[in-house]
Amino acid sequence: MEKLFQAIYGGILYGSIYGLMAIGLTLVWGALRMLNLAHGSLYVVGGYVAWTALNEWALPALPSFALGVIAAALVGLLIQVLLINRLLGRPSFFNAAMIATVGAAIVIESAMLLIYGPRVKQMAPVIPGHFKTLGVVIQYQGLVIIVAAAISLVLLSLFLRKSRYGLAIQAVSQQMDAARLMGIPTVLTFTIVMAISAGLAGLAGVLLSSVFYLAPTAGFNPMVKALVVTIFGGLGSVKGTIWAAYVIGLLEAFLQVYFGAGWALPGLFLFMMIMLIIRPTGLFGMGEVQRL
Amino acid sequence: MLKVTDLQAGYGGSVVLHSLSLQVGEGESVVVLGPNGHGKTTLLRAISGLIRPTSGVVEFDGQVISNQRASDVVAAGLIHIPQGDLPFPELTVMENLLMGAYRPEAWRERKRKLEQVFELFPVLAERPNQLARSLSGGERRMLALGRGLMSKAKLLMIDEPSLGLAPFLIEDVYQTIRNIRKTGLSILLVDENADHIEGLADRVYLLESGTLVKEGSVEVMLQDEALLAAYLG
Repeated sequence: MEKLFQAIYGGILYGSIYGLMAIGLTLVWGALRMLNLAHGSLYVVGGYVAWTALNEWALPALPSFALGVIAAALVGLLIQVLLINRLLGRPSFFNAAMIATVGAAIVIESAMLLIYGPRVKQMAPVIPGHFKTLGVVIQYQGLVIIVAAAISLVLLSLFLRKSRYGLAIQAVSQQMDAARLMGIPTVLTFTIVMAISAGLAGLAGVLLSSVFYLAPTAGFNPMVKALVVTIFGGLGSVKGTIWAAYVIGLLEAFLQVYFGAGWALPGLFLFMMIMLIIRPTGLFGMGEVQRL
Repeated sequence: MLKVTDLQAGYGGSVVLHSLSLQVGEGESVVVLGPNGHGKTTLLRAISGLIRPTSGVVEFDGQVISNQRASDVVAAGLIHIPQGDLPFPELTVMENLLMGAYRPEAWRERKRKLEQVFELFPVLAERPNQLARSLSGGERRMLALGRGLMSKAKLLMIDEPSLGLAPFLIEDVYQTIRNIRKTGLSILLVDENADHIEGLADRVYLLESGTLVKEGSVEVMLQDEALLAAYLG
C-alpha cells in the first residue's frame, strides 16, 4: 500500500514537471510545426537566473523566480526574432529551424558554462522540510511544484480558450491560411507562442533547480522526457499533452517503485513505441500537416 | 472601390494570372466566371495577400494593397471567404466567429456583430458550442460566411460558394449571399457556372487561362447562351 501511494505521489510530481516542459514544446509545434531543441537550454536559463537572483542578489524567492521565468521568456523571444522568423517560408523550414534551435541551445549552454562555471549549483527549496503521510515522505517543495504547475496549466488553458490572443494562437495552429484571412498577424503570434513556451520551460527550471542539480546541460533530460510526453499526447494538442504528462509521470513512478529505477526510461520508451505503432498521431494528435 | 491593374501572379515559377484587370465599384456586386483551373482562386488569393503578385497593382479604397500583408488587407476591410471554408476545426462555432472579429476595430463590436450574424444564420445560433469539425457541409459554409461578416468588411470576396454542397443546399447559400448584398456590402464572387448569379450580380467577367476575356452587365451576359456555353461548357 505504501508503495502505491509513493508511486501516485511521485507520478503526480513528475507529471507536473513534464506538463510544464511539454506544453511549451507542443504549443510551438502547433503554431510553427517546428521542433524547438533549445527548449532544454531555456529551462537552464530560468534556473540560473533565479539562482543568481536568490543567492547573489539576495532577492526574496518570488521575485527571483519571476526573474528566472522572464529571462527564459526573453531568450525564447530572441531565438524567435533573430533566428526562426528569418527562416519562415523557406523551403525545408522544419529542418532549418530545428538545426537553428540546436545552434541556439549550444550558444546558450556555452554562455552558462562561461558565466557560472562547470560546478553544479543547487537552489534552496522555497519551503524546506517534509512531512510523512500514508507512509510516504512528502517534501514541501514537491507540493509547491505540483501546485505551481497546476495553476500555470489552468491559467494557460484559460488564456488559450478565452482571450483574443489565445484563440488566435489556436487559430494559427489549426488553419493557417484562414487565420491570415481573419487578419491575424502570424509572425507576431509565433513570437508570442515562443515567449510563452520559453517562459514555461524557465518556470520548470526554476522549480526543479531545488530538486535536481543545476548545470549547463541540465535541461537535456527534462526536454527528452517532454518530447516523449508531446509525442504520446499528440504533437500540437494542448489537452493531449496535459493528459500525457500525468500518464507518463505516473507510469514512470510506478516503474520506479515496482521494478526499480533502472526500468523507468527503457519502460517509457517501450511504451512510447507501442503507442506509436497503435496510434501514430498520439492521444489527440493533429497529425502531419505541411503548411509553412 | 477595388481596382486591379495588370495583375500577374502564380506559384513558384509558374504564372497563373497574367495582365488581369478588373474593378468593383462601391456597393457593386461583381461575379467572375471561369472554368476550373483557370485562376479564379489564385485571383482572390493574390488580392487578399495570401500570395504576393509578381507584378501589377491592386488598389482598395484608394490605397495600394498589392504589397501589403494579409492582415493589413483585412484591416482595410477587404475580406476573403476562402474555397473549402477552412474552418478552425477544434474551435467551437462561437470561437470561429470571434476569430472573424480578430482585428481590434471589429473586436470592440463583436457582441453586436454576433447578433447580426446569428440573425442571418439561425443554424449557427442553434449550436454556438459545437466544434467546427463536427458541422455538416452546409453548416460549415454558413460558418465561413458568418465568420467573414464578423469583420468590418467593406468588400466581401467569395470563392465558389456552391462547391461540394448538396444540390438542395446550394440555392440557400446563394439566397443568403443575396441577403448579404442587400446590406450594401460590395461583393466579388468567383464561380464555375452562371446558374445562380441572377439577382446577385451587377456585372460579370469571364476568365480564361488566367486573364479576363469578356465583361458585361449580368443581363447581357446571361442572354448570350452561346458565349457562356463556349467558355464554361
